[in-house]
Amino acid sequence: MSLLELRQVGKRYREGQLERTVLREVSVQIDSGELAIVWGLRGSGRSTLLRVAAGIEAPDDGVVLFDGRDLADRSEEVLGAGIGYCQKFLGSGSQPALEIVMMPLLAAGVPTAHARARARGALERTGAVACATRRTSALDTAETVRVALARVLAHRPRLVLVDDPIQGVDLFERDGILSLLRSLADDGIAVLASTAEATALSGADRTLALTEGELRGAPQQELATVVALRRPAGRRASA
Amino acid sequence: MQSQVNWALLGLVIERPSYAYELARRFERTYEGVLTLSSVSHVYTALAALKDRALVEELPGTRAGRQPKPHYRATPKGLEDYRQWLAAQLDEDLRRQRLFVLSLSTFTRDPQAALEVLALYEQACMSEAQSIPLAPRAEVCANGAPELAARLLAEDSRLALGAKLAWVQYARRELRALPDTQVLGR
Repeated sequence: MSLLELRQVGKRYREGQLERTVLREVSVQIDSGELAIVWGLRGSGRSTLLRVAAGIEAPDDGVVLFDGRDLADRSEEVLGAGIGYCQKFLGSGSQPALEIVMMPLLAAGVPTAHARARARGALERTGAVACATRRTSALDTAETVRVALARVLAHRPRLVLVDDPIQGVDLFERDGILSLLRSLADDGIAVLASTAEATALSGADRTLALTEGELRGAPQQELATVVALRRPAGRRASA
Repeated sequence: MQSQVNWALLGLVIERPSYAYELARRFERTYEGVLTLSSVSHVYTALAALKDRALVEELPGTRAGRQPKPHYRATPKGLEDYRQWLAAQLDEDLRRQRLFVLSLSTFTRDPQAALEVLALYEQACMSEAQSIPLAPRAEVCANGAPELAARLLAEDSRLALGAKLAWVQYARRELRALPDTQVLGR
């Protein structure tokens, strides 16, 4: 059984008299330890897909299952614990990163000393422990992503959802962020990320394309065949 | 000079002057899966061709000894020609892409077939991007030039694939907008 499963999910938004379909019959399964990345341009439905997968928004059609159970019945129960939805917005920017990571733990009733230790551990895990005492307004984009991921990981989620993890991240820092996502999957966490950049597809176990709300991703064997047909084994050239 | 092997070999000589056998080994390591030598003697032929064109020259004194190993270095002309050849590769890439697009446009009376080709092309691009290894910058710096070359190659591929994927979206929209009469004309 997959940790996360979307079955025939549809999502529509009403804008005045008009109804806009954002997701159409989206079906996908994500397993523990898997890094799946959804690629799509702006307006393709990427962010909506992640919010629906996180249970933040309910689908209009279909069903979202987390651990085999309908998320609609218990989204508040699992969001923040079993499911970690990574938001890059870290508040006003006046607080140090450690406090930002601690806050949701304190809100969940974790004692202060314990919350501090867990937050520091999460910052270490994401390579952002050097940011612990810095105000979040002073962080660059890559550091912000690492702190945002730490805030999610502090809750020890089984599924992490990240919208556009490398958007705005310096070209030289991108692989570091992607390696971090890869390592989370290697630790057994299911990771579903979205992106508008092909750069972010490196290292994924599975890549899917989202176009105008339709999700496409051929089985890996078919993809391998396509690539094998395209790629010459090695060019033989004459002198 | 048409031979890709000759140009690639010239690049290796520019990277570090050396002798034929070592160049052959380095060639195999560097261009594995991209270019193939028919045999080690291919390098001798290629070096002779480069020498005839005054793109490389023998390093003085390297023919001496019981087992002479003539070392080759690039001439100023070799360096200049190599730079120009490298820049011209961009044109070659653009020509190949143009050929693909023109070939696809032959399907304008059969948009469904073109959309199917696009879907395969998109999948191939994504799979290719997925297979590019990650290389955090710190490791690149620690390991020096070969990793830097791999990093540059990976980034070039990923940025190019990103542009192709964006183009697929554009092409798909254009094809879907074609009038139904053209679909019926299949």
